[in-house]
Formats: sequence, C-alpha cells, structure tokens
Amino acid sequence: MINLHWVILLPIILGTVAKLISINTAKKIIALFQAALLVYVTQIFVDVRKNGTILENIGGWPDTIGITLRADLLASAMILLSCFLFLAMVIFVHNKNYADHLFFFLFLSLESLIIGIFLSNDLFNIFVLIEAATLIITILIMYKKANVAIYDGLMYFLINVVAMSFFLMGLGMLYKKIGVLDFYALETALSQVKDPQSLILPYAFMITAVSLKAALMPLFSWLPKAHGTPSAPSVVSAILSGLYVKTGIYVFLRLQIAFSPLIDTSELFMILGFVTAIAGFILALAQKDIKLLLAYSTVSQIGVIMIGINLDNPVAYWGGLYHLMNHAIFKSTLFLTAGMIISEYKTRNLNEVNGVFEHMPAVGVATILSILGIIGAPLFNGSISKYLIASGSSGTWIEYGLILINLGTIVVFIKYGQLLFGHSGKKETADSDILEKAVVLTLSILCFLGGIFGSQLIAILFNVDLTVDLRSYVIKMLLFFGSILLGLLIYRGLFKKTNRLAFINSFELGFNEMCLSITLFFAFIVIYLKIAF
Amino acid sequence: MIYINGESISILLFFVGVYGLIARRNIIKSIMSISIMQVAVILYFVSANTAPGSIPPIGDIAQTLQVADPLPQALMITDIVIGIGVTAASLTMFIHLYHRFRSTNWQKIMKKRNRYD
Repeated sequence: MINLHWVILLPIILGTVAKLISINTAKKIIALFQAALLVYVTQIFVDVRKNGTILENIGGWPDTIGITLRADLLASAMILLSCFLFLAMVIFVHNKNYADHLFFFLFLSLESLIIGIFLSNDLFNIFVLIEAATLIITILIMYKKANVAIYDGLMYFLINVVAMSFFLMGLGMLYKKIGVLDFYALETALSQVKDPQSLILPYAFMITAVSLKAALMPLFSWLPKAHGTPSAPSVVSAILSGLYVKTGIYVFLRLQIAFSPLIDTSELFMILGFVTAIAGFILALAQKDIKLLLAYSTVSQIGVIMIGINLDNPVAYWGGLYHLMNHAIFKSTLFLTAGMIISEYKTRNLNEVNGVFEHMPAVGVATILSILGIIGAPLFNGSISKYLIASGSSGTWIEYGLILINLGTIVVFIKYGQLLFGHSGKKETADSDILEKAVVLTLSILCFLGGIFGSQLIAILFNVDLTVDLRSYVIKMLLFFGSILLGLLIYRGLFKKTNRLAFINSFELGFNEMCLSITLFFAFIVIYLKIAF
Repeated sequence: MIYINGESISILLFFVGVYGLIARRNIIKSIMSISIMQVAVILYFVSANTAPGSIPPIGDIAQTLQVADPLPQALMITDIVIGIGVTAASLTMFIHLYHRFRSTNWQKIMKKRNRYD
C-alpha cells in the first residue's frame, strides 16, 4: 500500500531532524534520502501508470469531506520531476559553504510544499501550501544577504500575499455558491450549474491570483526580481525558475479543467500566453545581467507553455506539458551554470564574461547543450515539444507566432552565448567542484536524451501516443536553421555593438504599480467574462 | 437597509484595502492594507455562509435546530494564523529595509536599490 502523505511529510521531518546531526553527515544523509525518495516516487508513478489514480483521504473521512491527496498521471509525473530536480540540487550544493542546517531545513520544506501543491486535491489546502511556500522562498532568495536582497524579498512577499488574498476571496465566493472545496467534487458540482453569470466573480478572483503565480503578461514584473536577485544561491534560482513557477501553471490547469464546462477562456489565455512570450524575449534582450536575462527568458517560455495548453488541441496540450518538463531541465541547468560562471568571474555583467569554453570546459559544454535545448535545435528536447505545439496549431496565425517567438529566443541566446567564446585572459582552466560539474553535465545530457527519445518519454510520462512525423519535422528544422541565420543577422546588425533595448529597463514597476496591474487585470477579466457570457 | 450585511461590507473593505495598496506609497500603509484585505476575507467567509438566526457551532448544539456551517469558520482560524504570520514577517522585513535604506517610501527605496545594481 502506497502512502502519499509520507512523500509530503518526510522531507520536512528530515529537514528538522538534520539539525541534530553535524552538517557534513547531514549532507550525505540528505543526498541518500533524496535518492530513496526518488525511488519511492518512481514506485508511486509506476503504480499510477498501471492501476490508475490513487486517492487518499487523510484522517479516514469519506470522500469530499476531509483533506484528500490525489495522485493522477500528471501529478505523479510532476512529483517525479520535483524529486529528481531536488536530488540534483542537493548534490550540487554538497560542497558549498552556504549550505548549512538552516538552508537545508528551508530547502527541504520547500520540497515538501511543492510536492504538496502537486498532490493536493483541495483548494484551501493549496492556498495554505502556497502561502507557506511564499514565506520560505522569501527567506531563501534573501539567503546571501546582499545589499538589495531585503527589497527584492519584501517585494516578492507582499505581491504574492496580495495575489493570494484575491485567491482566498474568490474561494469564499465559490464556497458560498457551490459548497465544496474539493477539485473533483467541484468539477461535478459545476457541471450541474446552468448559469455561468453567478460564477464570474469567483473565477475572476481566483484566475487573477493564479495568473500572477504563473507570471502572465501584465503580472510578471515580480518574477525577474525574485528569480534573478544576486542574493539567491543559484540552486534556489534554479528551483524557482525550473519548478516553482510550474506550480502556478499546474493550479491554473486544474482550475481551467474544473471551470471549462461553464467558463471557457482558453482563447483569451492563449493570446495572453502569446503576448507574454513576446514581451518576455524583448525584455530578456534588454538585459545585461546574466541571471536577469535567464529570468526574463523564463517568462517567455511560460508564454509558450500557456499557448500549448490553451490551444484546445490534444497534440499541442501534451506538447505544452512536455515543454513544461523540458523547461524545468534546461532552465535549471542554465541557472546552475550561470551561478558557477558568476562565482568564477566575480561579475554578473554579460559583457565582462568571455571565454567560458576555454576557461571552464565542462560548464561550457553544459551551457551549450541546454542552450540548444531551449532554442529547439534538432534532436534536442525543446525541438520535440515546440514541434508538437506548432503541429497542434497548424493552420492558424499562432503557427507563425511560434516561429517569431522561437526567433526571439534564438536572438536572446545568441546574445547569451557570447560569453562562451573569446578569451578569458586567465591562464589555466578553473578548478570547479567535481560534483557541480557532474550535476550540470548530467542535466544537460538529459536535454539531449529528451530529444532523441522524445515520443517514447511522452508515452511513458503521460500515456499518450504522439508520433513525430519525419517530413514535417524536417520542414520545422529547415525553418529552425533559417531562424538561426536570421537571428545571427539580427544580432550582428542590431545588438552586437550597442544595446538598443536598454531604454526598456528604465520602465520599472514599483509596488503600487504592480498592485494596480493586478487590479486592472482582475477588472479586465470580469468585463471580458461579462461580455463573453 | 438590507444592503448593509456582512457580505457587502466585506467586499467594500476588500477594495478599500486594494485602494490602499494602489494609492499609498508608504510601506507600513501597504502592510496595513493587506491586513484590511485579510480581515475582509475573514468577514466574508464567516458572514456569507451563515443563515440568519443560526447560532455559531460552539459548545452544546444538540438542542438547536439551526447551526452555522462550521467549515468556513474552521478555515478562517487557519487564515487568521496565516494573516498574523504574514503581518509579522513583513513588518520584520520592513524594519530591516528601513535600517538599510532609511525611508518608508516605495519609490525612494526602489531608486536607492537600483543604485546598488
């Protein structure tokens, strides 16, 4: 019998108990524990894959009354991904001196909460878990106590608390109308409701909060500050950008599925995803800070995922989910390598870093593999998921939009890739930690394997058969090479000498403006729904 | 005067909080606005799910016919605890922020922060 609640409880218990052991032993125990947890979660995944959804009522209450945990195929694939990434991160920090007892307590608690969000079947539960995760992440991103840390942390914290207040208000209204908080009871209850008008307000409140969590177009300004802040250790940035943003998308997906018979907003969110993707890469191009560039590129990739899951086409939907997994892998590799580069070169300025290939060969190889993944080069994982999203959108304007987005991503990463080449001016190669190199190389090789075995992996993870048609794949790849050439030309012509988009950076949103954009987004959703339904 | 009930007042309070967030540059006032929003949410949960004339689900309720729905009240105990935690954490961070930047104004602090970058 598989118990789901232990997967949530064990990391937090170990994080607490580890305080009693000396830090060097504790690190080894935690790494072993993560490996064991990965095995256990794989077992859960295999069980779900064979026998279907596992439902566990905590406290032995009947269905829909108590707190329930539910592991369906998507949730168990997500916790598999989380446990894998956390194992990689724990190995990565093994020899770092900032990794002390407090760090591991917070880090493992964050793991518990993320797994909890994926498994939770109850809206209020999700609210509580997200609030707790917000507080823990705030402490984690201030961990290195840089000068700017406290501002970034407070900003992140308050914006997310405001968003979650919106969520709770919507939850209250929903409970008044429907009387249940359980996702699947909600699905059945909502299918009985005839009039969508009465549900517009709760839906708008909740979807505003979830859109902020998933960093959609007008609401993403908090994300780069939090993910790219100098005070966050690179593992924390990697987990935030690779995994934690995905919880927002996951809750969004669950809410959309529950509300879809009444309020179908997939077209609106597809357009918002498109705008997010465009805005993300334009802002990424304007940055000269390594971590901020990667953080804005996360915004852009989230737009791509949103396009995929809102296209109303099964191929694009699974492509979007596969892109979500792929993004977790290559973006965490990029953040980890960026952290290694920053600590080696002692600067975050993209223009001052040169010759990573020569100076740190392993890091250079890992970076180039994950860049090839994110721009969707042939045989890499990004190409499979982008291909699936594009083939799901064939015949609509969004197909051309995706080519444009990919071109933007290519220009951004040509700019980022400049740090690989040239001469560093340093004689010998840097002696990075062997474990760090092993982790980034493993993750980046996964980008390659995820491309070669793309359709098999999708078949294993999501139990759907998607074949990659060779002919259209070749056409897509020719388009890709065309985009590379065009991207190189654009980069050489416009961005090589001067940063023509630097003026964008002067429009920075303060706290009040962000709150205004939340309110405006909320008002926009209400008005849109009033008109559409 | 049927419009003056817990539900409508809580929605009003919620947007008073939102107004405070948008219009006030003072960080303490922002934190206070968030507290106001939380109080509004608590008032909404408790009042919207109570039928008129019912009693709170506390103590011996075996003889009573109408008892208010206990679930929202249980949820709100959790939310009150979260609210206290959030306020305490944000005030602590604010004190550190104030020591470093010597200002309570979001705009001024943002300018000073960007000088460090």
